[in-house]
Amino acid sequence: MIVNFKDIYKMIGMFIVSFCAVLVSTMFLNYYLDLITVENLITTEVSQIFYEAQCSTSKVVSTVSGGCLLLTTVVLLCFDIRHYVDTRQKQLGVLKALGYTRLTIAGNFRMFGLPVFAGTALGYAFAHLLMPKLYELQNKDGYLPEVPITFHPKLCMALVLLPTIFFSILAILYSYIKLKVPALQLMREQSAYKIVPAKKDTDLPFLQELQRSNVRQKKSLIFFITFAVFCFSAMTQMSFSMDELASRMMSIMVMAIGLVLAVVTLFIATTSVIKANRKTITMMKVFGYSAKECQKAVLSGYRPWAYLGFALGTVYQYTLLKIAVTIIFKDMEGVPDYQFDLPVMLIALAVFLILYEMLMFSYTKKIEQLSVKEIMLD
Amino acid sequence: MIQIKNLHKYYGTKDSKTEVLKGISLEINDGDFVAILGASGSGKSTLLNVISGLEPADAGTVCYNGQNICGMSDGEITLFRKKTIGYVFQQYFLLPNLNVEKNVKMGADLVKNKDYRSLIEAVGLAGKMKKYPHELSGGEQQRVSVARALAKRPKVLYLDEPTGALDEATGRLVLDLICSLKKELAFTMVMVTHNQNIAEMADTVISMNSGKIVTQYQNEHPKSAYQIAW
Repeated sequence: MIVNFKDIYKMIGMFIVSFCAVLVSTMFLNYYLDLITVENLITTEVSQIFYEAQCSTSKVVSTVSGGCLLLTTVVLLCFDIRHYVDTRQKQLGVLKALGYTRLTIAGNFRMFGLPVFAGTALGYAFAHLLMPKLYELQNKDGYLPEVPITFHPKLCMALVLLPTIFFSILAILYSYIKLKVPALQLMREQSAYKIVPAKKDTDLPFLQELQRSNVRQKKSLIFFITFAVFCFSAMTQMSFSMDELASRMMSIMVMAIGLVLAVVTLFIATTSVIKANRKTITMMKVFGYSAKECQKAVLSGYRPWAYLGFALGTVYQYTLLKIAVTIIFKDMEGVPDYQFDLPVMLIALAVFLILYEMLMFSYTKKIEQLSVKEIMLD
Repeated sequence: MIQIKNLHKYYGTKDSKTEVLKGISLEINDGDFVAILGASGSGKSTLLNVISGLEPADAGTVCYNGQNICGMSDGEITLFRKKTIGYVFQQYFLLPNLNVEKNVKMGADLVKNKDYRSLIEAVGLAGKMKKYPHELSGGEQQRVSVARALAKRPKVLYLDEPTGALDEATGRLVLDLICSLKKELAFTMVMVTHNQNIAEMADTVISMNSGKIVTQYQNEHPKSAYQIAW
């Protein structure tokens, strides 16, 4: 077997993200499907406005967070497969040379659907555990008639089975494309080194040159890191406003998703940078560069993108909430006007800086522990 | 001077330990060219790794001008390598995403050597400064690796089978180049090889077998890269 359970175990990121996606989507879609069954029982105008706002919120939350997380899972899957193929080129090259067809090899990549299945199934089950609390909180003011919790099999199909099948097929297709390289090239591990040369010749110090070059070679990581910090920034700031505008449960949920997404994505991105640069780091260590210098050369190039992610997240959450308050809840009484919260932004920025620097520090320690000899023999 | 005393190194787990270095003792004088000769599994590469500070010893001492590197912390050994050592490996280990000039700069920047381009010229690659490693032949890559190691002005240059992946003509060219740069820059050189002929170029030849030094002799008349048989 080319892809085994041990490899799947490492795809914890896909598991966590798909878990979050299905947890949120199931709760709010289930609520929406149950909510529309009580529409005929609404008699007052206030209840009607409240009903429409609830319908919109449920659709927006499940579409935006579910959609965002689905997109992240797709990117994570492609990233994982690419990383898998790049790190096992020799093995895959030998299989091709022995006569295994591209489709036979790619077929093994269907295993990548397993973490998605585990994540979505668990997310679906957890959503049903949390549902009574959500129903209670959504109607705590009693504007609506009692909304009964109903089990919707079509949601199980749409949120657990279809994503598993979709991701398994996607894994096969993507790996099929990635394996479109001659066997010899794979065996010589040449496809991992598609060098992107500098457009302009510069005379910067070596560490800066390497920093720039690393960013140039791994452009996909720019997306990951910017996205991770964007999620953190948007979701943490939004969660404080949610506390005031919606409910405590929504606030906690939004914050939890933001943190999970940010930590998982940042962890995967930085780990993959370190792994991809193991030989470079080793040579730097051999020559006498300190672990901190290695960390700087390999990871610091992404720092500006992380700050950009934070700024974009701040703008996004402000715009989204402003639109929600002025358009969706415009007819509702008691909804406070939304203003930009500077102290919350500063707290989020401070927390982000601490978390980011802690992560960088932990990677410096990890670099210190890299065995020079082990990598030389690799 | 490098003084190595009673050096021991083990590999494997507690239950199945293999002693790779069995009490090695030797002295290397400043400016000397030492060849460590031995068959596969004789422990020659391990000896090179331990005395150059790439791997820790399990027992014994390795002193550079009286300073013992065994027992140094990771930070101290890194600083030691920065100030003292240069390496050339059989597999070159150039950074694939940087061109020739930037690869050599990796060594040069450590000692703020602004004159690193002259080394690239000295290894005959003046016209290929902007080329990337994958655009070079094996011999050219090894010459970049030599320039990179020397750009940091090391006191001791360690070479692990530097011609192991090269053909005869290119191998001779690289060895000749290293020896002429040694004469010019006067560094100590320790080279691991399994090739008896290449060892004839050294001032001192150390033969190893099963983790022990079996013979050690001085070469009265070291040969040049073009005088040895291949």
